[in-house]
Amino acid sequence: MNLFDLIAGAISFLLTLMILSYFVGDNPLFKIAAYLFVGVASGYVAAVVFWQALYPKLFAPTAQVLFSGAYNEGLLLVVPWLGVALILMKGSPRLAGASQIPLAFLVGAGAAVILVGALTGTILPQVNAAINVFDFRNNDAGAFEMLTSGAVALVGAVASLTYFHFNARRKADGSTQRFAPIEWLAWIGRVFIAIALGAVFAGVYAAALTAFIERVSSLVIFVKTLLGMS
Amino acid sequence: MRILAAIVAIAVGLLVLLGYFVPQAAVFQTLLLNWAIIFAAAAALVGMFNLINVHAEKIRKGDKNKLYSAVLIVGLIAAFLAALILKPQNAIVQTFLVNGIIVPVEASLMALLAISLLYAAARLLRRRADLMSAVFVAVAALLFLGSATLPFGDMPLFGSLLRPYISQVWALGGARGILIGVGLGALTAGLRVLLGVDRPYGGA
Repeated sequence: MNLFDLIAGAISFLLTLMILSYFVGDNPLFKIAAYLFVGVASGYVAAVVFWQALYPKLFAPTAQVLFSGAYNEGLLLVVPWLGVALILMKGSPRLAGASQIPLAFLVGAGAAVILVGALTGTILPQVNAAINVFDFRNNDAGAFEMLTSGAVALVGAVASLTYFHFNARRKADGSTQRFAPIEWLAWIGRVFIAIALGAVFAGVYAAALTAFIERVSSLVIFVKTLLGMS
Repeated sequence: MRILAAIVAIAVGLLVLLGYFVPQAAVFQTLLLNWAIIFAAAAALVGMFNLINVHAEKIRKGDKNKLYSAVLIVGLIAAFLAALILKPQNAIVQTFLVNGIIVPVEASLMALLAISLLYAAARLLRRRADLMSAVFVAVAALLFLGSATLPFGDMPLFGSLLRPYISQVWALGGARGILIGVGLGALTAGLRVLLGVDRPYGGA
């Protein structure tokens, strides 16, 4: 272990203890570690954003245009520079209104990407997967097993979607109630959603427990290394 | 300004969308998305400066948490300058910032979750002892037991039969419904922005 690794290990050891001190209650050590983490992570991400996005897409092409003297090639860089200048105006309360334009640009582009992403990345693949369960050609399981599993998953998907259907009729007393079959299907959907969230909970809990074991193990390994026991 | 912002959002959205369906428009789509990445990066930097401003203000006003704000600002500026000057992939930056601070704190916060989640599950059963809570906790316990690595191998019924059946059939059905619902929600939100009904950029 070289000096850098030793110092980084000591920092990691201290911060782990400070965060785990939350087990005995909220305390200043936990808060210092948490605030330090937020600061360091924000600073690091900002630098990554600069080197991964701003430098290759804006600064490097601009420098290339300036040094080569091919100014007509730099016309396409005018819009991003203008947009960046307008976004920076967000820092001033008087000029903040101008930042609406690049933000609108960002929201418009994001909306289009999300729209296509949701359609081609989630809805169509999930619908296809729900259909393909019943495809006898691509399934090694027996027909009965395949049909029952597919039917349960299909009912689960439809019932879960129905649970989020909130159209209801207003009754004479002013209260609202969904159409009876929708209400029953929604109840079945609640059971499926509870099962799905239970499965997610089990996965997250297993991951959290793994992280806990890894942290305790790292503390033990660091102490052993310091004592020359490993 | 509001109308101009709405026109920009709708026009850019439609041009980006067109790029997915008309191959000739893909070049405009790439250009617009590159500009959007630059704007997002600039907005992230503005966000970082705003974070510094908010905490500097707390220190200036003598807030009771000013010590923590000072720690945050010092950490932020030091990390930003180090990663900016040395570059994020530099070995020293990786050793001190990523392996020394970011990863251990993230993993430790995740470790705290192990106890918090257990406590939350126990509270759920105490506060809302109904069928859905019971199903939720029972499924979580069953799947967790089924996936546990034990000295004598998998638990006979849990690991080989119940866990795969619940997670790959019953939970899959519910998860698929939720996913399709999220997809439909995202689709609707995107369409509302493209039609100018929603203007989250401040034009509403």
